[in-house]
Amino acid sequence: MKPHSPRSRESLLKLMATPVRRKYFETLRRMLLPQGLISIREEQFFLVLAIAIGILAGFCVVIFRIAIGAARLLLLGGSMHPGFPRVVLVPALMGLAIAVAAVRFFPRVRGSGVNQTKGALYIYDGYISAETVVSKFILSALSIGSGQSLGPEDPALQIGAGLASALGRWLKLSKERLRLMAPVGAAAGLAAAFNAPITAVLFVIEEVIGRWSAGILGAVVLSAISSVVVERWFLGNEPLFRIPQYRLDHAGELIAYAILGVVGGVASLVFVKTIKNLRPWLRRQPQWSQYLQPGVAGLLIGFIAIWYPQVMGAGYEWIDLAMHNRFPWEVLGILAGLKLLATALSFATGTPGGLFAPVLFMGAMLGGSVAMLEQQLFPSIAVPVGAYALVGMGALFAGILRAPMTSVFMILEVSGNYSIILPVIICNTISYVISRSFQEVPLFDLLSRQDGLDLPSLEESPEQAILVVEDAMHPILGRALLGDEAIASARNIVASTQDAHFLVSLGDGRWSVLSRETLLDPASDQGAPVRALVRVRVPRLYQDQSLDVALRFMKDRPMLPVVHRGNLDLLMGVVSVEDILRAYRKAGLAEPERAEVS
Amino acid sequence: MRMSEETANCTICRQPLGENGRCQHCDVETTHTWTIQDWRPLLTLSLLIVMGFSFTSLIVSSYSDKRSALAAEYTAAGIRTMDEWTRGARKNPAPAVDEFEAALVYSHDDFQIQLKLTDALMATGAASEALGQLRALRDQHPGNALVNLKLARLEGRRQHVDEALRYYQNALEGEWPDHTDPVPQRAGVLFEAAEFLLSLGRHKEVEGALRSLAAVLPNSPPEQEKLASLYLRNGNTGRALDIYREQLTIDAKDTTALLGAAQATLAGGSYTAARRYVEEVKPGSAESRELLAKLDRMEALDPFARSATGRIRTERTLAAFRIAAERLAGCGVPFAQALVGNVGSPASANEKDPEQWSGFAKWAEQLSPMMNERKLRGRDDVIESTMRFAFQAEMAAQKDCGNPTQDDEALLFLARERMGVNQ
Repeated sequence: MKPHSPRSRESLLKLMATPVRRKYFETLRRMLLPQGLISIREEQFFLVLAIAIGILAGFCVVIFRIAIGAARLLLLGGSMHPGFPRVVLVPALMGLAIAVAAVRFFPRVRGSGVNQTKGALYIYDGYISAETVVSKFILSALSIGSGQSLGPEDPALQIGAGLASALGRWLKLSKERLRLMAPVGAAAGLAAAFNAPITAVLFVIEEVIGRWSAGILGAVVLSAISSVVVERWFLGNEPLFRIPQYRLDHAGELIAYAILGVVGGVASLVFVKTIKNLRPWLRRQPQWSQYLQPGVAGLLIGFIAIWYPQVMGAGYEWIDLAMHNRFPWEVLGILAGLKLLATALSFATGTPGGLFAPVLFMGAMLGGSVAMLEQQLFPSIAVPVGAYALVGMGALFAGILRAPMTSVFMILEVSGNYSIILPVIICNTISYVISRSFQEVPLFDLLSRQDGLDLPSLEESPEQAILVVEDAMHPILGRALLGDEAIASARNIVASTQDAHFLVSLGDGRWSVLSRETLLDPASDQGAPVRALVRVRVPRLYQDQSLDVALRFMKDRPMLPVVHRGNLDLLMGVVSVEDILRAYRKAGLAEPERAEVS
Repeated sequence: MRMSEETANCTICRQPLGENGRCQHCDVETTHTWTIQDWRPLLTLSLLIVMGFSFTSLIVSSYSDKRSALAAEYTAAGIRTMDEWTRGARKNPAPAVDEFEAALVYSHDDFQIQLKLTDALMATGAASEALGQLRALRDQHPGNALVNLKLARLEGRRQHVDEALRYYQNALEGEWPDHTDPVPQRAGVLFEAAEFLLSLGRHKEVEGALRSLAAVLPNSPPEQEKLASLYLRNGNTGRALDIYREQLTIDAKDTTALLGAAQATLAGGSYTAARRYVEEVKPGSAESRELLAKLDRMEALDPFARSATGRIRTERTLAAFRIAAERLAGCGVPFAQALVGNVGSPASANEKDPEQWSGFAKWAEQLSPMMNERKLRGRDDVIESTMRFAFQAEMAAQKDCGNPTQDDEALLFLARERMGVNQ
């Protein structure tokens, strides 16, 4: 393209400067970009934003994972068996440094990040400070990279949520939307960290949002998928561990899996009870000891790692080896026990890092150990170690994190094998039931209560029946007035009752309410249709709509029509505020306070 | 950012919104309408994504390079360890396992490293771990010939014959790396499978494998001679001899073919013909000298040789009887110990079931009075009977009495020549 000469540019500016020409260009701009031609409402923009959040969170998590790897290389070296004294000194010294930073400067980075995100959603209107995101990123990378027995998923969840929160604030989204940004970002962060979008979406619904919400589902799914796309773009399609092939040959094998469910349930209980008791005990210690606790945990983990380096970090590479018969059952059992201890130490001391990966590690080791033991005891039964390790992960996940849906779909998503669903469901259900029977409050709720917060929980939410319009409406005596009938005729109907208000059907599903006074007003024309008296229309209701919707519509209206969905002019009944309150009183839900579970 | 001036419907009741942006019916807050004129946040967001992409690409690229370098470093260390172990410079190959495992952490899906790890595991004696690793590899690459071949070897070592044969078959039908010629690779697998079957004594299946081999092998001497040697070891001396002869038509001085033909002829029962082949080998190799010595021993024990005079025949018959008796005596057969006059020797501790040898005992009882030069002279029937006794005794002892001496071996070859291979 030929560049403009100074002369031609000058003449163009001159042309645009004249008022007539300026008007001409403004018209042209309006024609090309008319207001509203390409316009999106906030909820649609929210979906676009969810994709952007997913992409940006994907970038952050990719860099976060690399940061963990780089920290590990830098601090512990490239070998899978770091030598002594490095293996002891690094986690201990880094633990001390992280404790100083976390206790003194960034107290919000302590813990996994799941409850903090949930707190942001329910307490702080979706606010997570940028400082928290940055410090979580750095301190989690250092703690996991230095060998603390924690995983990257939960911090990634908080990082994603924090990023979304910052974006929402910058875009000045409405308070309601801003609050929803945290779970959208959380799903993106978790999905990229675990490379599993379905798992991330379900986990965020079960553990962060704490209730099923159709309004946010689309945005959560979009952000999770876009972040996984980014993660796979950069880090490739390879899974965190290689999944062995699996086939259920005989239904009798399910009994063997049920045994794993029992073992998983008991192990989950042991872990949760350990955290439940250890964490408050450590917090009760003098303030100065808070600076030492992560360091002491690191020291103990370092000593364990002299013989069993597998307990350090997230441990996905070891899960992979365990799934492929690389350890005898005794070693697998020992590793499960030591990982439980190491993770409890790291987590209870407040070291930043997540539980997701250590729980999977424990499950895989326990599953593999049970499989190999069963192989020895019952040589006739086909016991694939890899499949047991996989199912064991689900069992511990269901038992410890108490996210039953996530635990099932996680294994399906990770394995890509539908045949495993029966063992997974059986094993997870047993583990979940055992855990729930002996430990009423789920781990994350327990942690939030230890922190003095009471956040909503999907598991603890009482099963309340949703009241619908049908529960409150009452049938109308006689008939509704018609918009086309004469006022004189309507007056006959009005005179026959004592009702203060009357519904008027205007046809085509439109309704209105007229008062007795209006209808009996002597000033009105007797021969005119009732329609002539109508000033405002009222919304119609359907029998299956919730009373919440009915209340929103009610405002100061005396009543609302309930019509048939197949015929909008067919009146099924009417609803008033008194009817709604009566229905709530009858259902016993008028009490404001929530039943305390524990 | 600004709101659109145009009106919209309420998201709950779908009825028109009022001027104040609130729904007149359900009183919900009006939502923003974002238009293309809201270009600043969209542009900034797009720029953020572009910048994030560039920065992440940069980080990922440099980290990938670092990981690749580490993978290469650990792989090289593992290969070095294995080499040292193979050469005997290192007793324990276990560090190689750690090194290959570390390499795999940095190059998760590297097929070659995974194969090397299985080799290292096998070297450390961790067969079940190697098997787990190989099975995982096979799950990922079910059609890979190398993986199937390694699995076949491992299962063969574990005496899981059916699995081993299945994996050999898979290896034959599998895919080889792109840069290699699959024909010689498949021939190699067939050779290995034939060797495995031979070790199991499954002669018919060996024949099948060798026939398949013959169909695909090039007509080059090393392959054909290897094929002939397998035929020979499987007892198909005729086919082996045919192949060796064919090779000799290409190169009459081919030492391997000459020696092979000699052995095939010998196994076929003609040591005189075998001698002709051996004598063609010039200059005489260690193998040919050994074979010649064997032929000499056979000739020295053969009373039926054309050149043998009457006295030589009786001497050779007496020698054969003595060798057979000593073989049985060494094996703990009581009557033979009496025959050679060392009753109560240490070998008698391994005494055999007397009933098994009762036929031989009676036979020896009949023959022993005749065992002197004078009585044997001119008695071809006794010479014949004595040699049959010696041959059968040697063959019976071959099953139960351990490795034969060179003389025993010579008698066995003579037995094959006189009595046929299958007896």
